[in-house]
Amino acid sequence: MRSLFINTSTKKLIIGIVEDDKVLYEYSDTNSNELSSKIMPIIDEAFTKTNLKPVDIDTIFVTNGPGSFTGIRIGLTIAKVMAWSLKMKVVPVSSLELMVSGNYNSDYILPLMDARRNNVFGALYDRNLNPIINDSFINYEDMINRANDMVKDYTIVSHEFDFEEPKYDIVKVIKKHINDKGINPHELNPNYLKMTEAEENLSKKEGE
Amino acid sequence: MDTYILAIESSCDETSLSIIKNGCEEISTVVLSQMDTHANYGGVVPEIASRMHIENITLVLEECLKKANMAMDDITAIAITYGPGLIGSLLIGLMAAKTLAYIYDKPLVPVHHIAGHIYANNLVKTMEFPLMALVVSGGHTELVYMKENYSFEVIGTTLDDAVGEAYDKVARVIGVKYPGGPNVDKLAHIGTDTYNLPLPLDDDSFNFSFSGLKSAVINLYHNEEQRGNVINKENLACSFQNRVVDILTKKTMHALTEYGVKNLIVAGGVSANKGLREKLTFLCEKEDVNLTIPEIKYCTDNAAMIGAAGYFAYKIGRRADLTLNAKATDKLN
Repeated sequence: MRSLFINTSTKKLIIGIVEDDKVLYEYSDTNSNELSSKIMPIIDEAFTKTNLKPVDIDTIFVTNGPGSFTGIRIGLTIAKVMAWSLKMKVVPVSSLELMVSGNYNSDYILPLMDARRNNVFGALYDRNLNPIINDSFINYEDMINRANDMVKDYTIVSHEFDFEEPKYDIVKVIKKHINDKGINPHELNPNYLKMTEAEENLSKKEGE
Repeated sequence: MDTYILAIESSCDETSLSIIKNGCEEISTVVLSQMDTHANYGGVVPEIASRMHIENITLVLEECLKKANMAMDDITAIAITYGPGLIGSLLIGLMAAKTLAYIYDKPLVPVHHIAGHIYANNLVKTMEFPLMALVVSGGHTELVYMKENYSFEVIGTTLDDAVGEAYDKVARVIGVKYPGGPNVDKLAHIGTDTYNLPLPLDDDSFNFSFSGLKSAVINLYHNEEQRGNVINKENLACSFQNRVVDILTKKTMHALTEYGVKNLIVAGGVSANKGLREKLTFLCEKEDVNLTIPEIKYCTDNAAMIGAAGYFAYKIGRRADLTLNAKATDKLN
């Protein structure tokens, strides 16, 4: 079984081609502003270097957020169009789950992303990638308090805040989701976890 | 051999795909407008627009191909609006276009949004050169001289607000619902020109300026309100519209004479304006100028016009590679 892995939701851009549990190609680098220019040539390189074509892929695994809104959409648009065109199975995975997929020293890992104004995108996972606290848009202190209520010991990982740097293991994520049913490409959409400011203001106004 | 262009347009609040044959024949077009959603906010909210584009992009693609009864293999090249526009919105169409170009190994043709508006006219009638194009929309007010196909010389532009922008702002102040342009146009047709407003930037250049006129309307409205006078909205709309139409037509007719051109096309959302259509039709008949104004459905943003422009861009060898990026602003070329 061959998989294409795409992550544009976090601070690390990942493009991978995996056959069963063997990584045939992996690009991993800091996600930059030039993402929209860079990403297709990297995908092209992934296929060229592995001597494969998009039609040789069975399943696309793509992170659908949370994270940078524009970033999520760039990877998801590619996955959506590719999966729809070539009738491929596509499986969305959480970007926070990807951040905890590497090898850590504790049983529980708490991934954090800056969501501004003292808010974070956060969750709590065990080392088998099972969520203990689901992906949330939440105040930073509330996140920590909730985690403290659940488990005694955990490792916090974050690209932006001063904690342990997240480590990614795409094979582990693919294995975890290999039997997921997949989603209709038309319904493959970002999981923003957050309304737009305009929507928030409007619902506040209507509530008054 | 026939050339089929699959065109994608997502620069603002319309998700649109189209298949155009040989730059002039519309095979199928699907336009998904988000106008009703943005109306709740009194204008386009960029983040909401981006969110709606990604939700709809493959649905619109599927419907466009189905309507044409065609498959991607039948397509010659893919044309994409790369700018100008809202970055987040542009990126959805752009990434979709690049993905399709990549997996089906099709040439990718970058199209400037305004070139699209101009070439909407080719779907109505074969464009004849040399010609003058008056581009009027929410983001643009330009006079463009075209010596031949796909050669654009911008001879005049707005120094401040675009004409559509001025309409929207005036609409907001006098309490006319979004979208402001068409609604002010409607009011103007009921009213009479009774308010004393200045003719903006009435000089020998081909440039425009609408912020002064806009301010004059707003000041007049507030002054009358303060004095407790009743404002006749219809008459104010009519007076404002007359000044706009007068200066647009005056400079356009002047440009035609100066460049010795007998073909005029109008492009962009504001070309749907009834006042502008009437006056231009009258003046062009008088001056023996061939005037083309696209049907209303081609005036607003749509991918058919991108497919028409894309065909000519394709023919002269315009190509982009997979690094093509979206541009919020870019010179017409």
